[in-house]
Amino acid sequence: MYVLGIDIGSTASKAVAMTMDKKIYAKAVVSHGTGAIGPKQVYEKILSESKLEKSELKRILVTGYGRFVFDDADSQKSEISCHAKGVLYLSPDVRTIIDIGGQDVKAILLNDKGMITNFVMNDKCAAGTGRFLDNMAKVLNVKTHELGALSEHATEVVNISNTCTVFAESEVISQLSKNVSVENLIAGIHQSVAKRVSSLVYRNGIVKEVALSGGVALNKGVVKALSEALKLEIIVHEDCQFSGALGAALFALEEIGQK
Amino acid sequence: MSEVKEVKPKRELPLSRIMVNEQTAQVYAEAWAASEKGEPIGWSTAIFPQELCETFGVPLVYPENNAASISAKKLGEPFIEHAEGHMRYPINICSYARLNLGMADKIIEPGWEKVEPAMPVPTFLCLANNSCTQLMKWYENLSRNLNIPIFFMDCLYNYDEEEPAPHKIKYLKKQLENNIKKMEVLFNKKFDWDKFLEVQKRSQINRKLFNEIVALNARKPSPMNGFDLFNYMSCLVLCRGKASTTRIFEQLKREIEAHIQNGTSTYGSTPEAYRVHWEGIACWPNLGFNLKTLRKYGVNCVMNGYVTAWDVAYEPGDLEGMAKAYQCSSTNSFSTSSIMDMRTKSIEAFGCEGMLCHVNRSCKLMTFHIFVGRDMIEEKAKIPSTNFDGDQSDTRVFSEAQFETRLQGLVEIMKANKEAEL
Repeated sequence: MYVLGIDIGSTASKAVAMTMDKKIYAKAVVSHGTGAIGPKQVYEKILSESKLEKSELKRILVTGYGRFVFDDADSQKSEISCHAKGVLYLSPDVRTIIDIGGQDVKAILLNDKGMITNFVMNDKCAAGTGRFLDNMAKVLNVKTHELGALSEHATEVVNISNTCTVFAESEVISQLSKNVSVENLIAGIHQSVAKRVSSLVYRNGIVKEVALSGGVALNKGVVKALSEALKLEIIVHEDCQFSGALGAALFALEEIGQK
Repeated sequence: MSEVKEVKPKRELPLSRIMVNEQTAQVYAEAWAASEKGEPIGWSTAIFPQELCETFGVPLVYPENNAASISAKKLGEPFIEHAEGHMRYPINICSYARLNLGMADKIIEPGWEKVEPAMPVPTFLCLANNSCTQLMKWYENLSRNLNIPIFFMDCLYNYDEEEPAPHKIKYLKKQLENNIKKMEVLFNKKFDWDKFLEVQKRSQINRKLFNEIVALNARKPSPMNGFDLFNYMSCLVLCRGKASTTRIFEQLKREIEAHIQNGTSTYGSTPEAYRVHWEGIACWPNLGFNLKTLRKYGVNCVMNGYVTAWDVAYEPGDLEGMAKAYQCSSTNSFSTSSIMDMRTKSIEAFGCEGMLCHVNRSCKLMTFHIFVGRDMIEEKAKIPSTNFDGDQSDTRVFSEAQFETRLQGLVEIMKANKEAEL
């Protein structure tokens, strides 16, 4: 038997199937979030790729903004708890978690027992989130997943003064008209995300080790800029994008008594 | 065949709530009656010394309270739009101010359609800046737009200490005396100092009764849904010096004591799993959603700092003491660390396991301390907290999904804390 954790975010849906002895059995991600076809797609994808039958899933726990709209869910949990649980599974020494999702930025502090002692989240503004990076990529006519690699070729960091998603777009367009290189602009965009996120992290307090989770953690440029802004090393696990779904699967195990 | 929807019977209101509604209706009826007779009628800030007009027998209505009522009914948007669009007020000023300034401009138009509770056009204004400095510009704008006078109580800001310096109290006492003289002229009435003493006594009886009622909610489980306090607090705003408020509070106290005796609560049949402290003004347009979501997770906001803002304590007959009380009446007259010391005591007394902070876009003063205040509470009271974006009247700020996610996160931490204690 298995359990399934699903994380339905605003821009992507992730799923992790786990064995009864807490081993990752399968994982899947689709680039559609809540409100679209994402939840259904990710469910079908993980079942087909892992050859699992629905009847083999003992419990399904769903997290993320779309957690209440998934019909087959047995229970729901907030992404705050799920990300904390998932990151701890991947990197047990972590005490500060920064999660940058499609529309949310979270900073979570854990005590030495791994319990959440505090968390803060961004205010009602998309600045510093994955959605901000998506919009900027669109303006620059590149793919979001290409941003990290492109920023490695930057010769200088262009200052993007406006963190508002809408106004930053016009700022980037105006910089492009001055023939500023796309790479330098991307480095500036990453720095603006890092500034916004670091002030939130400082507000919550920092205890080492620090890990970054969520899809944006896959962007090396953001990791570098954030590491510089916080003046410390940031752990990024290769499965960082799955931490919410992973946490959901771990909670599902707990709910059926598998500690 | 169309689906037949089940109509849930409306929950019967307790007698005390019916009495509150009747009292509120009476306040507005008296204001309209005065207006129709061409008599003076005032609009007042919430913590103005209402004892003065109560003694004169001149009706007052309260734009902040009115804006809250209209917002709770989700009827405020047209007034806010009017203020922002036609009157060109920016979105960054208080939404109570925008709603009220928009309304003040609409109600002078002939044949405007009343939105209940509707306030008549005022003939004068009463302004005390003891809770918010933005009130001064708001009322100045009203005064200029409507061409009416203001009775102003300039409560000097306590920037360095909690105990106001003697000159500040003397200054306020003189203003009380001066405003009484000016009111005598405008109202063409002599001020009755004996009646004033009675109004002062009544105000003190009412505030003490309300404090006793609030304290009863420290019981576990609480006999009251903490949000009820927002409703009953309106009696102190509108009718602090009236005997009808005493009757309401006495009835409410009897009802709560009966709940304690019977082991019941106005929180309903949902078990009270978590007790939290609410920081900030209510999200009036979203009060229903807030309450429904809190109940879903078994959370009762048993106490909040806002409802005690009308605890204006003084000795009847002591004008200087009254001046001092109004000087210090609002939490905005205290430093952040003093406010958080009070909150910590309240959190301990009410057995709160978490704190929910409303980052109110309208209220810059209360938002100023919200994050550093959170840190102080977490350190002093050792409880987790979370914040959410909202507004007291502007519906564009609040997000249902954000509120639920953060509440659920807080609940999960409180649950883990409880389990760790076992």
